[in-house]
Amino acid sequence: MLTYISRRLATGLLMLVALSMLVFALLRLAPGDPIDAYINPNVAMSQAEMDALRARLGFDQPLPIQYLAWLRAAVTGDLGFSIQRNGVEVLPLVLERIGPTILLMAAGLAIAIMAGIAAGIVSAVRRNSATDLGLSVAAFFGISSPAFLTAILGLYLFSVVLRWAPSGGMLTPGAPFTVGDLLAHLILPACLLSIGHAALIMRYMRASLLEVLNQDYVRTARAKGVKEFWVIIKHATRNALLPVVTLIGSTIGIAVGGAIFIESVFNWPGMGLLLVNAVDTRDYPVIMGATLIIGACVILVNILTDIVYAAIDPRIQVA
Amino acid sequence: MRLKPLTLALAVTALLGTTALTLPAMAQEQKTITGGFDVGPGGFQGNFNPLAATGGFTWLNVYFEPLVNYNADLTAIEGALASEFSVNPGQTEYTFKLAKETWHDGKPFTSKDVKFTVDLAKNGETGTVFAARLGAVSGVETPDERTVVIKLSRPDSGFLATLTKLMILPEHALSGFTPKELATSTWWATKPIGTGPFKFKQYVTDQYVELVADEDYRLGRPKVDRVINRYFKNTAAAVAALRAGEIQFTYVESDDVPTFKGNNAFKVIEGQSFVVNYLGFNQQVPLWKDLRVRQAVMHAIDRQAIIDSLYGGAATVANCGYVAKQLVPEGLDTYKYDPAKAKALLAEAGWDKVNGTKPITWLTYYNTPQAANVMAAVQAMLAQVGINVVPRVVDTPTYNSIIYAANPDFGQFPLVYAGLQNGPDPSGLNIGLNAAQKPPAGANFLRIEMPEVTKALDTALAETDQKQLSARYQDVCKAMNANLPWATMWVANRYGVASTKLKDFVWVPAPAGGPYNAHPEKWSVEK
Repeated sequence: MLTYISRRLATGLLMLVALSMLVFALLRLAPGDPIDAYINPNVAMSQAEMDALRARLGFDQPLPIQYLAWLRAAVTGDLGFSIQRNGVEVLPLVLERIGPTILLMAAGLAIAIMAGIAAGIVSAVRRNSATDLGLSVAAFFGISSPAFLTAILGLYLFSVVLRWAPSGGMLTPGAPFTVGDLLAHLILPACLLSIGHAALIMRYMRASLLEVLNQDYVRTARAKGVKEFWVIIKHATRNALLPVVTLIGSTIGIAVGGAIFIESVFNWPGMGLLLVNAVDTRDYPVIMGATLIIGACVILVNILTDIVYAAIDPRIQVA
Repeated sequence: MRLKPLTLALAVTALLGTTALTLPAMAQEQKTITGGFDVGPGGFQGNFNPLAATGGFTWLNVYFEPLVNYNADLTAIEGALASEFSVNPGQTEYTFKLAKETWHDGKPFTSKDVKFTVDLAKNGETGTVFAARLGAVSGVETPDERTVVIKLSRPDSGFLATLTKLMILPEHALSGFTPKELATSTWWATKPIGTGPFKFKQYVTDQYVELVADEDYRLGRPKVDRVINRYFKNTAAAVAALRAGEIQFTYVESDDVPTFKGNNAFKVIEGQSFVVNYLGFNQQVPLWKDLRVRQAVMHAIDRQAIIDSLYGGAATVANCGYVAKQLVPEGLDTYKYDPAKAKALLAEAGWDKVNGTKPITWLTYYNTPQAANVMAAVQAMLAQVGINVVPRVVDTPTYNSIIYAANPDFGQFPLVYAGLQNGPDPSGLNIGLNAAQKPPAGANFLRIEMPEVTKALDTALAETDQKQLSARYQDVCKAMNANLPWATMWVANRYGVASTKLKDFVWVPAPAGGPYNAHPEKWSVEK
């Protein structure tokens, strides 16, 4: 197991370096740089002024030199300074955003897992009933609704019309911190983030459970007189969960994508909002730093998923 | 009744969700005004450094102050930190008498702070955007603590307008930084000290900025205890917060205005954008060399119909690059909508040989649905007379990278759709219009070389008689109208919406957010 983990970690490191090179190259290929983003196109600015600003930021250097300088500093933990934020260091800036994003994603995934698994079980157990049909239709809507649409509709309905939840932010501006305030701001974006995942998990859970329910050992358990509830929960669900666990792990990356939309709509101060703002303003150091850390997190979660998978199913051998 | 375990689990999950959902948001303290002060085109979320500000002056001016400022009508410059000011007949020496004020940390504000600020603003190492604009300043003298004399090497009719955007900074707090350090210092966003009616309390990254009342403000203690500037990723989110009652003010898009009109809970604030939308003719491509072609473009577009149908009437036709009434003379050519005349002009100019119906890229950074509709209408109108333009919408950085490239590909922007931000100060257009301002010297990215326009601009810039200044700029307007360096379209209105609970609240959609004397110390809010 230790060799397996070490090998996966080494591969992950190489992937991170490749990722940083790719993002660096793509950023420089994209039109516009931080100075272009800084200029108000309605207000004229001279070439000399812009050149002076570029030279001050080191953008007048050749690209390989710029990348190597970034990489050399990055391996020592120095991800540089944000260009658009009065020189705030990138590493603390990104690290302080991990917490809110993890909170949002964890809450969203927790809701999705609970709702998805519960709905999947109900749907499978009551196969071909009206409940099954209703849940399946809801799941199709959930899967096919893009995050930006559900986020905007949810914001309008629950914040503007019903006023059940705040319209954005993580805490009430200027108010002292309370857990209640945090939860009040968290619940709506987390629920909206969970919709797509819950629907996907529900479909997987349903299909997996239906397959397991026809297995011999389930029939044997029933024949031995085990109550139906325990047959489903103890015997069938545990085995049916295997593909669902894999699915949850592999959709973490997708969840990051969804979180970017949700964070933008709800102004949730996480990695997604940071990244979108950075791309808008071509804040190269922040984009590089945030991508690196998101990449590291996704790789790490995938490795952890593999380990959990192996732990759940001892038949799986890792070399 | 005995619940099945599965049902029980589902019920508990639902209950937890419902409980959290209905938790009340923390009630804010009384006497707090929360707004989206940096939402919209005049805002600049996340910028705290006034030396580097190209917008966001409405908010900066709540805790910093300039020497002089525009009045709320944007028609005249009046005192701010300078209680009075005068200029010598040659327009080369400005004398400012300073108001008695203290910085937010209690230290006295003096003439040395003004000299310190002007010197910083001229030093390119600070990342300043004022260096070129203060190029005429030859020296700053401080005869006493309450007097500042700024000397210019040549008359600069835009000097006072530049000073309105220059927020005065505390020497005692910043003299420990080198100019280079100041450019990237976190001081601006953590502990800035100003002289305005409110003091900086905190910035919660990408969430909000909180200011508290300055008890010692010279014009009286503010009527509210706190002002909070909430950040939003876009205008729609700010509008949602306004409707939800979480904020009391925000800029709104014109499309949102009808939904607020007639609602007693809100007051719609309407004002001119001071941005003239125009079609810019790139003079480096052969398409637009002939004046008759440019005239044909003007005659081909039914500007009033577009204003009526797509702007709901909330825009004014612009016949030159200026907006302020005193700068627009009578008798300009209005270029009435006349497709037949446009076709005739094109035929005279030999348009079939110049370009014919070959597609012409029409570059813009305007990406709102309204702009898309406007461009589609213009595209159709131009197509009717035989000019085939193809809109290309890019984001602002991309647009800037194309037009300001060191070695530009002129084929990428033969025609642009953009805005000319001006306002009360007419000299600002010079850098994008004067033949001497072609890159790299200036920002005349369309490479306009029209002797009549350049001469009019040079004459206006050299005018030392303030009474004649407007007349000189009217000449510039006439030259623009006759030569058509740009096909000027209209000036659209912009809107803010405030809760009717706000009292004595002043906001105008000024270019770059102003600044202007909004007197935030007088703002109040009902319970």
